[in-house]
Amino acid sequence: MEDIMFSLNSVWLMLGAILVIFMQGGFILLEAGSTRMKNAGHIAGKTIFTFGIASILFWAVGYGFIFGDNGNFFIGLSDFFYSGYEIEGMSYSTAAYFIFQLAFAGISLTIAFGGFAERAKLSVYVVFAILFSAFVYPVVAHWIWGGGWLAEHGKQDFAGSTVVHLTGAMAAFAATILLKPRMGKFNKNGTVNNLYGHNQVFTALGVLVLWIGWFGFNGGSTFVVDDGFFGFVAVNTNLAAGAGAVSALIISWIVLGKSDIPTMLNGALAGLVAITASCAFVETWAAVVIGLVAGVLVFYSVKFFEKLKVDDPIFALSVHGAAGVWGTLSTGLFATPELATVGLPGLFYGGGFTQLGVQAMGVAVSGAYAFAVSFVILYTMKKVMKGLRVTEEEEIIGLDLSEHGSYGYPEAFVTKEKQKISS
Amino acid sequence: MSNLHESYLSLKNWCDNNIGNHQSSTGELNHFHDIVMRYLFEVALNKVKEESGPPPCQFSWFVMGSAGRFEQAVVSDQDHGLIYEATNKEASNYFRELGKEITSGLHFIGYPYCDGNVMSSNPLWCKSKQEWAVQLSQWMEDESFDSIRFLLIFYDARVLVGEEKCVSRLKQQLHEYIEKKPYFLNRLLVNTMHFKKAVGVFRQFLPETHGSHTGCIDLKHLGFFPFVNAIRLLSIKEHVEETSTLSRLGCLSGLPEYKKGLELYEGDFEKLLSHRLQHHQKVAEYYDDVHFLDVKKLGKTEKKEIKQILMNGKKLQEYTESIIKRTLKNEI
Repeated sequence: MEDIMFSLNSVWLMLGAILVIFMQGGFILLEAGSTRMKNAGHIAGKTIFTFGIASILFWAVGYGFIFGDNGNFFIGLSDFFYSGYEIEGMSYSTAAYFIFQLAFAGISLTIAFGGFAERAKLSVYVVFAILFSAFVYPVVAHWIWGGGWLAEHGKQDFAGSTVVHLTGAMAAFAATILLKPRMGKFNKNGTVNNLYGHNQVFTALGVLVLWIGWFGFNGGSTFVVDDGFFGFVAVNTNLAAGAGAVSALIISWIVLGKSDIPTMLNGALAGLVAITASCAFVETWAAVVIGLVAGVLVFYSVKFFEKLKVDDPIFALSVHGAAGVWGTLSTGLFATPELATVGLPGLFYGGGFTQLGVQAMGVAVSGAYAFAVSFVILYTMKKVMKGLRVTEEEEIIGLDLSEHGSYGYPEAFVTKEKQKISS
Repeated sequence: MSNLHESYLSLKNWCDNNIGNHQSSTGELNHFHDIVMRYLFEVALNKVKEESGPPPCQFSWFVMGSAGRFEQAVVSDQDHGLIYEATNKEASNYFRELGKEITSGLHFIGYPYCDGNVMSSNPLWCKSKQEWAVQLSQWMEDESFDSIRFLLIFYDARVLVGEEKCVSRLKQQLHEYIEKKPYFLNRLLVNTMHFKKAVGVFRQFLPETHGSHTGCIDLKHLGFFPFVNAIRLLSIKEHVEETSTLSRLGCLSGLPEYKKGLELYEGDFEKLLSHRLQHHQKVAEYYDDVHFLDVKKLGKTEKKEIKQILMNGKKLQEYTESIIKRTLKNEI
């Protein structure tokens, strides 16, 4: 029986890993659709090779920093260059667990790169992918999931609203500040222009792929299949996504007078990000509430960052940052005594402010760490690499051509290009 | 004033120096625009005469758009066309040349080009009487969005130079077509009734959220157009040949069917015109700016008034829609 459960659990973890890795496909569609044609090939391509970098780094040091022994409150210090060994007594394959965790590290990095879109140099992606995968993500992941100091406080973050999403978003925030807005985003009189993405169908498909992938992200985070708890987690996940889409659509209709598609798509994602922390700890009605709040929050968060003159092309700061914070705090409100297997029940279930406090502290410290370290890394890179950004000419012509030498949509640009060459 | 005829430059200077004295009302301002445009026409015609001789036949020059409706702001773009008697190569070459001269002349003295190219320099808007009649039938039969839009634009035509009867005859052609095919009214209705919302569910303004006019209400599209389009449509239905929205309203209100339903809107439209005049005298340097009203800069009562007008515009649209639908129902 144990063997069967071991196999089933391992298959479940592997399926989760596949779904989470497939979320990279969702990000490719989401990001490429939300940006302009001239950068589409670049955005799609960089997602693949930066996941490659993240994979190697996770194998070399990331896994060890997060889950290694001989560690301390800050970081683990063994199990580098994972050899594929199995840990005795585990109820699932260690290798499957490794690949599942690797997939998460990859997602966090991709979220971070949302803040770089349409203006960062290719070399910046390469270097930052290495440094983020070594020094940013593993540290926060160790604190909360690897037995670090926040784990000791009973911080609830079931599948990574903080660990994966907020960490990625904070790195994106540091990048948007240092990179400065894209050309044409803000006018001299302080008003904001919409630099429309080139394909809403891609963006919507991206959201759907992510939505499905999230069943691996959250459902897979049960690690085991006994008692079928993953089904409950999936129900909560789906409800929050739906609620987020609905509330974002309604708020955009109320405030703007029209139902804005990008806002609605952001709402679905915000619902997913928010429920990521709490999906295993709250009842279904609370999942709906968490999703509804996330959908409204993401709408105002986008406006807020625009006011701050922060150019966030893929809305990473709002979708993964603001919703990540809300999701993490939400378990401090809604976690039930029966479901709170980690930490305490939430404020609305007689747990008082204790758990909410732990959640808030976790968000603040993890967010601050991810932001500060990413900022220092990027600032240093800016100095050493003589700037993070492509030249104005390169930005105008598009990163497909400037960074890779060929367009993602050659037919759309070939005439202009020919003209340029002949002139 | 005699120097005026001599060159565009002196006309431009005269226009720039005097337009400020003619802004007490939209009516006065439009009389001034009419004078300027007629002079401009004379200068242009003289120029063409010098090179190509006198016009080969009778013709009329008409303005459309806000000029046609006698509702131009301080800065307004061009909308105009030519119609001439003879259908032959000589006439078409002559008036094409005249059309180009008028268009570039108007641009020179400060009337921006029309984005939609509704100008006498465009062969589409410069035709013989016979060609115009054919074109109008084609527009009525053609199932495209643009052809309906062109018809509606043409219905605001007002003759500035020449005889009125040619244009009037063409408008009758549209009336006759509708008599035969009343359902055509529905196509005109569908073409004009789509507008972005101006006021939200909580009665809040819905200003621009992006771009250089963030925080402003697009008065042209959200304020004027609902009134202009609805009243134009009812005028087409009732064969009202007046072109200004206010005169059209006056004529329609004279009909028992509309007396009550349209009472409210004359005041609204007058207020809209005077608001634009007051608020944009300072920003009228660029054509685009004239139409944007900064919500934050409005006083409390102004805000309330504008909001009410915007909501009434929507009401008028619904009223117009119900009239057209009812008519069509009775026809069936």
